[in-house]
Amino acid sequence: MNPLSKVLIFGAVLMLAACASAPKRYDYANFRTESPRSILVVPVTNKSVDVNAPDYFLSSIATPLAERGYYVFPVNMVKSVLSDDGLSDANLVHSGDPRRLGELFGADAVMYISIERWDAKYVVLSTTVTVELNYSIKSTHTGQELWSNHQRVVYQPQSSGGGGLAGLLANAITAALAKAAPNYMPLAHQANSGAINLKGTGLPAGPYDGLFGKDAADY
Amino acid sequence: MTVRLLLVAPILVWSLAGCVTNHQRYDWGSYDPSLYAYYKDPTKEAALAESLAAVISTADSNHALVPPGIYAEYGYLQLQEGKNLAAVELFKQEEAHWPESKIFMDRMIKVASAAPQQRSTK
Repeated sequence: MNPLSKVLIFGAVLMLAACASAPKRYDYANFRTESPRSILVVPVTNKSVDVNAPDYFLSSIATPLAERGYYVFPVNMVKSVLSDDGLSDANLVHSGDPRRLGELFGADAVMYISIERWDAKYVVLSTTVTVELNYSIKSTHTGQELWSNHQRVVYQPQSSGGGGLAGLLANAITAALAKAAPNYMPLAHQANSGAINLKGTGLPAGPYDGLFGKDAADY
Repeated sequence: MTVRLLLVAPILVWSLAGCVTNHQRYDWGSYDPSLYAYYKDPTKEAALAESLAAVISTADSNHALVPPGIYAEYGYLQLQEGKNLAAVELFKQEEAHWPESKIFMDRMIKVASAAPQQRSTK
């Protein structure tokens, strides 16, 4: 075997490996029947103790959905309008009928997100930051669930440079910093990308993507 | 050696590209971080409004599409400031560019048109 073909095979294996970790394919039958064009993201429910997490998270979700090719309703405006209508409690919105939201906003589908975890745990000399989310899209025509996804992203700073006392101290300092002001947003972005953009489990291309309706092989 | 490197590099790039389907469809400016900053500190509403206006003007000068929701978000901040006419104009823009927003925008145009103008003289 000449070196070039070795390189080619290596490249091909790498490429396959890049996709190999994809979990079991999601069943898109319901999604394909409705083929929604627009998504209304309603305020996020929260099982963490961080009362600000839902708003912070909300600021991260519109762009990846729109980039996937969907019309995404203005998230902050929707939140305010719902609140003006007496629906400031996200739990109340989530337990309501998606068909009613469809009438109010003219959306094809509603995206419900719940924060399962959004915390930083300080254990001895290192900190683990965890963001865990459930995503669900429901039809505003039938109320049926069209798609769902679960993401858990964990960040644990690796022991930096060398062992010994200096290394331990460096870890302790990193941990203390993360504890004082952990930055959850990179984790939230990673979770969104993992939920939306993975072939086989993510969202099929929306109507503003050239692949709309043509990506059945992957979704 | 150089030849081999030249061969390897594109293959590596190609293999990395294997699963990445992301490209930027729109120019969002600083919309995400500005909204985050606003939720963190609600007194930063003016900065959020500024960043939304910047997204619109950048798209206009590049003859590009304003991303979904941006006219509406900006219009809603105008409405909260009592600038109802500006709000109605922006809601109409959202509707013209994004027909999916029609029902919501029509409803908001009605709200903005019915509410009294903050700066009315009487």
